[in-house]
Formats: sequence, structure tokens, C-alpha cells
Amino acid sequence: MKARKSLIKIKPKKFKDGEIVKVSFMVMHPMSTGMTKNKKTKQIIPAKYINSVKFNYNGKEITNMTVWETLSTNPVFTTYMKINGKGKLTVTYTDNTGEVNEKTKKIKPKG
Amino acid sequence: MKAVIKIALCVALFSSLSFAGEQFAMSNADRAMYKEMSENNPADIMVADGEELLSYMGGDAGLAKYLGVSEDNLPAYIAGFPRYIKKFGMVVGLDQVVQAMMHDGGHKPLKLKSGNMFAIVAYIKSIANGEKIDIDVNANPQMKAAYALGKKTYMTKRGGRGLSCNSCHAKEVVGRVLRTQPLPALGGNGVAVAATWPAYRMTKSSLRTLQRRFQGCMKNALLKVIPIGSPEMVALEVYLTQEAKGSEIAIPGLKR
Amino acid sequence: MQRRDFFKKLGVVAAVAATAPTIGFAANAKPVSQNHITIDAAINAITGGKKPQTSSKVTLKVPEIAENGAVVPVTVSVDSPMISSDYVKAIHILTSKNSNARAIDVNLTPANGKAMFATRIKLGGTQDVTALVELSNGDFLTASQSVKVTIGGCG
Repeated sequence: MKARKSLIKIKPKKFKDGEIVKVSFMVMHPMSTGMTKNKKTKQIIPAKYINSVKFNYNGKEITNMTVWETLSTNPVFTTYMKINGKGKLTVTYTDNTGEVNEKTKKIKPKG
Repeated sequence: MKAVIKIALCVALFSSLSFAGEQFAMSNADRAMYKEMSENNPADIMVADGEELLSYMGGDAGLAKYLGVSEDNLPAYIAGFPRYIKKFGMVVGLDQVVQAMMHDGGHKPLKLKSGNMFAIVAYIKSIANGEKIDIDVNANPQMKAAYALGKKTYMTKRGGRGLSCNSCHAKEVVGRVLRTQPLPALGGNGVAVAATWPAYRMTKSSLRTLQRRFQGCMKNALLKVIPIGSPEMVALEVYLTQEAKGSEIAIPGLKR
Repeated sequence: MQRRDFFKKLGVVAAVAATAPTIGFAANAKPVSQNHITIDAAINAITGGKKPQTSSKVTLKVPEIAENGAVVPVTVSVDSPMISSDYVKAIHILTSKNSNARAIDVNLTPANGKAMFATRIKLGGTQDVTALVELSNGDFLTASQSVKVTIGGCG
């Protein structure tokens, strides 16, 4: 499995149980549309884009996205989530070439 | 008055190639939206990458030791770059320090113009986030000479259209719209270019350093591109960093 | 002539970009996405033919003028309690002129707490961005805004 560089950010950094926090998943990915040419070789750059992102919190899928090549290179996915206990947030994402990746962040509410 | 006519002629030269279009200027609401985007700057990942790369060379502690400063003083020391470093015998930017550190550590140095180098430089400069730019162009004869060379390079007209950096970035033309974008101030007036580079360039979808940006700008103005790390490029960075003196460092930046 | 008038007269030039745009409008032929679909067809496919209602409950935030077409911030927020009996099932973001009108389909659950989604998209030129929202009761709400995309600058 290719290791892609990514980050999961939670805002605010310190939160309590029951709080609704902002969660962002950022990943380095070309999101090539398959409609552009390499300036030097003049060859079409093949389409390579993330096509699905899933947020799983403590074993439950809370958000499921179908993603198209329209998103910018190095995309970000931001939404909210309600804190419901200590555990893990796992982001699983796939791209149109069959790449599957995962990123996890520990969730530790204080108070 | 003469300067205005010269600049006007340059603008005429640019516009003679294209047709008249609408005047575009971003509203404050739009600018706020882009500023909000900095919360999730794609370059954050590259900065984290740079931190990892530096860790292979001893991390912050290793860098502080190499520079001969305490780790506590490292942020303030970084805020003073580019600097004259005695053991190199010349004025250098952070990227050249990294190259030297890699070489002295027995590693093959990264190229100055490489993504990995940009990432490490961005991380190192981010150590100084919150510090104010503190370059001292009078510290020694070498810094004085670099500042003078930088200013001279900034003002020298060259290339196919006889343009200098100042032709498009002089205070008198700041805000004028050229090729749909308002010409930006590069220093003074509270604008601190040097404090917000390295930055993520949206049109390039990548992290770039200031000298790399100079190269792109030179190419488009039909000036011969100067190599990164050359005396003139480091001098240009010294000149623009002095223009941003006192501004708060905030890396990574986010730019068009 | 006043300096200001001189510049005004020249106007601003929608320049021939020095470098090719990131979205492939490079050569003469207009490139087509392998996922080509028009916005009307996409909306129909999502709603099953049902007509979405324009609603002020949907807040779509996009810049009026995008400095570049490669990275355009988009935020969609919906006024909703996000409880199992009344929540936003999905937020879809669409574009009116991109070869593939679809940007993203976000399926939310009450566990999200608030109905909001933000990302950055590519726009191949000036066009409308549309937020299409599906509620748990089967209703579809929508909001649109025009975005001017400038391709210019020096480098």
C-alpha cells in the first residue's frame, strides 16, 4: 500500500464529549482530470483522482463521499463531527486507479 | 512624471498583445475567503514533510548546534536570515545552510531547486512563526554589500522589454491591474512578502520559495532567469527581507 | 491626461496566459472528461427527476471573483437540527460549465452534528457553482452563485 502524505485536523484541538468539532482531512494527491497535457512531452496526463472518502468514527461510518476529478490538487475535505467518546477517527480513501489508503487520528475528549 | 511615462509604456507594451477586457478586483469578502483557506493550507503537509526530513539530520536541536545557537534562540536566529555566516565566508539563505549541513553530515546535499529542499526550508522558517523579521543589513561589510547588490539587481533594467523588478513593483504602480491581477507591493506599507514565503502557490499547486518565485516572475517579464543561491538572488532576498523588517513571520503562506 | 485616466483607457487585458492553465484547455480542441455530464443531467440523476427548491436554508459560500481557476474555495452550510428524524442526507456540489459537472457528493449522518461541507474545486472558466441538498424527508434544496475566473498574472 502506497503511503500518501495526509493530515487530519480537528478544531478546536481541545474538546469535550458531546461537542461538535470541525474535522478536516487533507491529502497530497494530483487529482489529474485526464484532460491536461504534460507541457514538455505533450502527452495527455492520465486521469488520477481520489474517487471516494469515508470517515469512520469508533467503528461507525459517519460520512461517505463520492469524489470527482473536479476537486483541486492536494484536496481538503472539511465537515463537522459530534464527539461521542474516546476512540479513533479513520479516514479511508480510494482513487480511480485502485489505490486504497487510510489515515487515523486518536480522539481524546477532555471532560 | 518621467517614471510614470516609462511605466505606462511598459503597460502599453503588455496590453498591445491582447484585447481589452473587464477590470477584475477581488472584494474584501473574497479576500476573507482565501484567508480562511490558509487554515487548511495544503503546504501544511509539506511543512510536516520538511520536519521529517530535518529529523534525519538531528532535527531542531541538530540545526541549532550546526548554527552555533541554543535551541531557545533558534526561532529568533532564523528570523534574521539571510545572514553572513563566517564558516561559509558568504551571505546565505536557509537553503544553503541546509546544503552545507547535509554535506558536512556526509549526505549528498539536496538541490536548491527541489521540492524536498523547499519543504525543509519551509519547516525551518516555520520554527520562527510569530517572530518578527529581524535581518540586519548593517551587521558586517558582507551584509552591507549584499543589500546594495540586491537593491541594484532590483532596479536594473534588463531583458527584451527593458524591465526591472521596480518597473512593476514600484510604490507608484502598486494596485494597478496588469494581466487581470493587481500589481502587489513587495515591501513596506505593511506588506511583508518576505515574511510569508515559502508559500503554497495555487496556480502551481505546490510549495515554492521566494527565490523560486523570482525566477517565475523574471521568466514572464522576459528577463534572463538568475540561478537560485547565486549572489544576485541571495542579494535580492536580502533586499526584500529588509523591506519586510518588523513583519511577523507566518509560514507557510498561500498565494495565487 | 490624468495618470488614472491613462490607465483606465488602456483597460485591463484578459491576457493570453504565459503558462498553460492547470485545467486542460491547452490545444484547440476542447477536452472532454471521461465522466462527462451536464449539470442538468447530473441534477436529474441525483433527484430522480424531482425539482429542487431554491432555499435560504442553504448557504453557499464561493468567491465572486476567483484569483485562479485551480483552487476555488467552496463551503455549503445547511440550517438543520441533524437529528435522526430531520437531517441533511447529502450535500452535492456541481458546476455549470465543467465537462464533468459534478464535484462531490457528501453523504452525511446525524453523527456529523452540523450540516456543512467545505472543499476546493477546479473551475475551467467563469461559471455557476451549485449546491444541491437532499433532506431526510426526501426534499431537495438548492442555491447557486456565479464565479468569475480570471486567468492572468505574471507567472
